[in-house]
Amino acid sequence: MRKVVVIGESILSPLGATPRENFEAVCRGESALQRYEGMFGVKEPFVASMMDRTAWTLPGKTFFDSIVFEAARRAVEAASIDPASPRTAFVLSTIKGNIEFIDTQDVTLAASARRLGEAFHNPNPVVVVSNACISGLAALLQGRRMLLGGVLDHVIVVGAEVQSRFIVTGFQSLKALSEAPCKPFDAQRDGLNLGEAAAAVVLGFGEDGWELVDGAVRNDANHISGPSRTGEGSYKALRYVLQHAAPEELAFVNVHGTSTLYNDEMEAIAIDRAGLLDVPVNALKGVFGHTMGAAGVLESILSMRAVDAGIVLPTRGFSELGVSRPVRVSASMGTTDKKAFVKLLSGFGGVNGALLFRKGGAAC
Amino acid sequence: MEQLINEIKLKLIDALNLDGMTPADIDDHAPLFGDEGLGLDSIDVLELIVLLERNYGIRLASPQEGKKVFQSVAVMADYVAANRTK
Amino acid sequence: MLTIRQFASIPGGTDLTALYRATVGDYPKFFKMDTACKLGFLLAEQLAEAPRFTPREDRAVLMFSTCGCLCNDRHYEETVRDFPSPALFVYTLPNIITGEIAIRNKYEGETSAYVLERFDPQAFVSLVEQAFQDGVTASALCGWVDCRADDDYTAFAFLVERDGNGTAFNKETVYGTVNQ
Repeated sequence: MRKVVVIGESILSPLGATPRENFEAVCRGESALQRYEGMFGVKEPFVASMMDRTAWTLPGKTFFDSIVFEAARRAVEAASIDPASPRTAFVLSTIKGNIEFIDTQDVTLAASARRLGEAFHNPNPVVVVSNACISGLAALLQGRRMLLGGVLDHVIVVGAEVQSRFIVTGFQSLKALSEAPCKPFDAQRDGLNLGEAAAAVVLGFGEDGWELVDGAVRNDANHISGPSRTGEGSYKALRYVLQHAAPEELAFVNVHGTSTLYNDEMEAIAIDRAGLLDVPVNALKGVFGHTMGAAGVLESILSMRAVDAGIVLPTRGFSELGVSRPVRVSASMGTTDKKAFVKLLSGFGGVNGALLFRKGGAAC
Repeated sequence: MEQLINEIKLKLIDALNLDGMTPADIDDHAPLFGDEGLGLDSIDVLELIVLLERNYGIRLASPQEGKKVFQSVAVMADYVAANRTK
Repeated sequence: MLTIRQFASIPGGTDLTALYRATVGDYPKFFKMDTACKLGFLLAEQLAEAPRFTPREDRAVLMFSTCGCLCNDRHYEETVRDFPSPALFVYTLPNIITGEIAIRNKYEGETSAYVLERFDPQAFVSLVEQAFQDGVTASALCGWVDCRADDDYTAFAFLVERDGNGTAFNKETVYGTVNQ
């Protein structure tokens, strides 16, 4: 089977306009998480990581469509491919897209997808993967499968999310938000922060570079918004990808780590069940907040950059372990000489996903 | 209090989409959560928190506080009578 | 090769509550669902076969639409001004339909939701086929549930399996089945 590899990438976030800028900001311990009062007309204050709308909005496009387009454009440029080729396709990952305009516009994800394809004169239908918070990971897996399907040479996977009254009030109604910067896996964790970002990856075939080895999505079949108490789906997804790598090969598992009581506990159980207690675990939501449809792509790119630099990134917001299993959460920057990692995510609707990445040139 | 209990039962049935139920079907003292009672779940707790605020002007801080107040319709009614602001 | 084991559809204007009472009747969670989830749930009831409710990892649930959960999004938006409703918010995701089907039927395999600009048999078939690449998925409940409004929807689904005895699952047979 041919190897599916990453040949271009981009990140747009409050911390920077390139993967490098973002990676360096993360290494410096920065975060754009801040408290907003009255933002979007929302009564209760909330903590979020948000982009500068004015700076990023392109003429004739919504803020959301602008960052989708820009992320795609920069990744395409980095990869030097032809986005209009019939052998190239786009996959878009987002949960709510342009929802802030629900009263005034066509806010279907399908409309955003069409505009993305049109902007690049691409003849193929743009697939939107909307699989709750694992969408970005699921979109990467989908891109890999589309390539292995045989009729494409490149897939451009774009993950993006912007915040709005709709989303913020929703999470507030679920009492899921923390009023402070979030604390993944920490004993004092009390909820998540929301975030905005766009990130894109161009996938193609190759021999070297970062390979998307394989991935799986598994459902807990338990509850539509509460994670499985036994980490069922997360464990099964991990078990699937571990067919291709021994735990000792992994530099780290980059987890979902939303900082809710239940999610982080569930992931710890899944990691333990999968035999990964000796593998470093880190989370990036203490830096970027929960970027929803962008998370899977954003967090994977930064994880690749970390392994390239021989680094295990710290879990910002974490200080004392607050889950029932002794997972090795990285509190501070660490080093590694390993060349593979697992990206793990979970989402509403009982979905869980795991993706195995390996840097080419490493022994199998 | 009878009237308040009945009123709460009607609002509960509506807010939680308890199809086909009437107030007569809900025992005043039956546990609302867990398998014996109405089998409500975590989302239902959150909806009941909204119900208290919307109808009676009572703001609960957390689902944990909610679990105490929502033990049964009778407990809810006592709490509402004591704390309502509308 | 993928083959069609079964096909089900729910015509527009169906009284979903009556259909639920006639075919299920003992799953009160049905009443908390939004229209899209009710449709997905009821389609899965028509397609599921005995033995039921045994956890399995080899059946994927893949649902497609253009509108996603937009119908329910509008209901949620109406509550935002005064008292945002958590029970409505949890349904403002296009993939919850797959979650409800998975919970009811104990499907612990892959679940995913896709949005397409229109029902495109080729894209539908390709995306479903691709889910079988993992070597675990042996069948898939895959469908189109497009809710433009609570009383304006298109809903149909297939139960597709690898190398079964039924008709081949391809864009022509899908088009033919859906349009018959």
